Amino acid sequence: MPNVLTVRGLKKSYGSQMALAGIDFEVRAGEVFALIGPNGAGKTTTLRVIATLLTSSAGEITFLDHDLCKDPDFVREKISYLPEEAGAYKDMKGLDYLHFMANFYAGTPEEEKEFVDRAVAITALGEKLGDRLRTKVGTYSKGMTRKLLLARALMTKPALAILDEPTSGLDVLNALEVREIIRHYVKEGTSVLLSSHNMLEIEFLSDRVALINKGLILDTGTPTELKDKHQAKNLEEVFRSSVR
Amino acid sequence: MKRFTNLLKKEIKELVTKQLVFSLLFTVILFNFIGRVTKKEVQKAIGVQTISALDQDGTEASRALLKFLESGLPGPSPATTIPPYKILDQSGKTKEQALETAKAGESKLLLVIPKGYGDSLTELKPSEIETYSFMRSFSLIGARSQVVVQGVIAALNEAQSNSYLKEKLPGMDPTAIKKPIKTKDFVVVQDRVAEGEANMVAGLISQQSLLIPVVLMMIVIYSSQMVISAVAMEKQNKTLETLLTVPIKRTSIITAKMLAAGLVGLISAGVYMFGFKGFFGGIGDEAAMAGAQAGGPALMQKLGLTFSTSGYIILGLSIFLAILVALALAMILGVLAEDFRSAQNMIMPLTFMVMIPYFISLFADINTVSLPIKIFILAIPFSHPFLVSQNLYLGNYGMIAAGLGYMLVVFVILVIFAARVFSTDKILTMKLRFGKKKAAVA
Repeated sequence: MPNVLTVRGLKKSYGSQMALAGIDFEVRAGEVFALIGPNGAGKTTTLRVIATLLTSSAGEITFLDHDLCKDPDFVREKISYLPEEAGAYKDMKGLDYLHFMANFYAGTPEEEKEFVDRAVAITALGEKLGDRLRTKVGTYSKGMTRKLLLARALMTKPALAILDEPTSGLDVLNALEVREIIRHYVKEGTSVLLSSHNMLEIEFLSDRVALINKGLILDTGTPTELKDKHQAKNLEEVFRSSVR
Repeated sequence: MKRFTNLLKKEIKELVTKQLVFSLLFTVILFNFIGRVTKKEVQKAIGVQTISALDQDGTEASRALLKFLESGLPGPSPATTIPPYKILDQSGKTKEQALETAKAGESKLLLVIPKGYGDSLTELKPSEIETYSFMRSFSLIGARSQVVVQGVIAALNEAQSNSYLKEKLPGMDPTAIKKPIKTKDFVVVQDRVAEGEANMVAGLISQQSLLIPVVLMMIVIYSSQMVISAVAMEKQNKTLETLLTVPIKRTSIITAKMLAAGLVGLISAGVYMFGFKGFFGGIGDEAAMAGAQAGGPALMQKLGLTFSTSGYIILGLSIFLAILVALALAMILGVLAEDFRSAQNMIMPLTFMVMIPYFISLFADINTVSLPIKIFILAIPFSHPFLVSQNLYLGNYGMIAAGLGYMLVVFVILVIFAARVFSTDKILTMKLRFGKKKAAVA
């Protein structure tokens, strides 16, 4: 499978504080690639750099054969980013929010409608958000808002969806629904780069995993490969073994 | 362009809330109501005044005095004109009865001409006339009863002295004796000379340009607050990160926010000014009437102290540049704000920057203050629109051009800085927390 994203020697520092100390990984077309690690490991910083929110201090990032640092506008056309603590405009109705976001990506009104229809279908996979889409976002529960934002991120069928802790703060049922949505839409051709500190979630969702700690990638592979390599029962044990 | 329009629509929709529309409507209705009430009171105050008179003397001289008050004496200027009064005759009543009747009616005062008034006049002795002024309210307009009293006394003295002079120097004009030196006042502005009084010109200029600083101050503060809040709300609602990753240029994000705030600010200021016009209309009537009576507009025309079309364009351009500077500055301050609450604090320095030239322009001439203060004031970009009208009147086009150029340079620098902030990590890492020790990095 060709690479959608290739990261080589990525470093990022905030003043004297080194957040990323030189990391390498790649995301292949049609796969879910996960960064796992504890809080402060550098997961969010990595995703923010790839989402063109932050600039890198050193290293190379190639996205669909384009240099991410030199051509961030191209990257923004092809990706979608769901931040960990994202929100939507509270005074907008859910449907208006989807139209507003779809308009940035759609070339024609028909395409915009197609994107929004897809988002409505995504939100309807779990709890019936359909009718609620006509009410203001400010009235949504956390789970409903998260599903709306996930639908927004996937509706344009981006080449790469960057999802930072997609189930963060959700209860068990809502988290399950969000995971199902991600798995379902990856089959339609979107590659996913996600981060989480929930090892079980990663094991369920990911094709390949990178273990990250203190700004460095410790190991990369499929969950099965990593478990075999570290002779562990699950990814939590793999992570513990890698950190030692 | 489609993406920019999409974002601009969203920004405008966010700013035009029900609360804003309600507050604008309320302001217009309230100010118009106050203006109408004030206008009625002012008209009453500057119209023909009613006084009561008790003539205890009943001589030809006392009747002539009252007749003089009833007819008035027109003069060349408002200051020398004695207006006519409506007199309610209380003859045949005692002083107490006359006082009660006058108090119960609409009279501003009761004038009592004592017995012997005519005789003292004949003997050229000073006569004493009693006045009882009725204070029915303590408002500014209500306090005009004192002005009425002074007017009546001035009229009485005029009548009395004219009467003396006519008796002693028949055939002579009493005015020529009392004021042997006549003045003919001229005002010179640059190379134009016109007959008139300098204080009237100054009064009319301040009246003409009264609204300019108010409009400017309102638009600048209002629009800036909207931009700062718009950026801060994106941060607080966690929508900024998503917005920064959608396919739209960062400069378009800045422009959309500034344009939306500028448009809404301009419309809001226009609506507020419509309300203020209704309010000031009531208060300004008296001065406007006095100026018009004395040929004020013609004098201003002769001196070239009216705005031409190009003058209005220059003034508009200056205000527009000041708004742009304020919006660019507000955009940067908005980035520094962590949330909506801290955004409210961020507006303070900007407000002060507008207030300083505003108050100085109200009470002093910026051109005559000391050099360090002058430099300080001119360094504030918002000072220049306050000076434009004065410089236009005085033909200081160099100063106007320098002011416009300065504001343009400041705007370009601020926009470049704002664009850099939005294009780099600073948009997410720059924060200024009030009450905490340092500018924090996320």
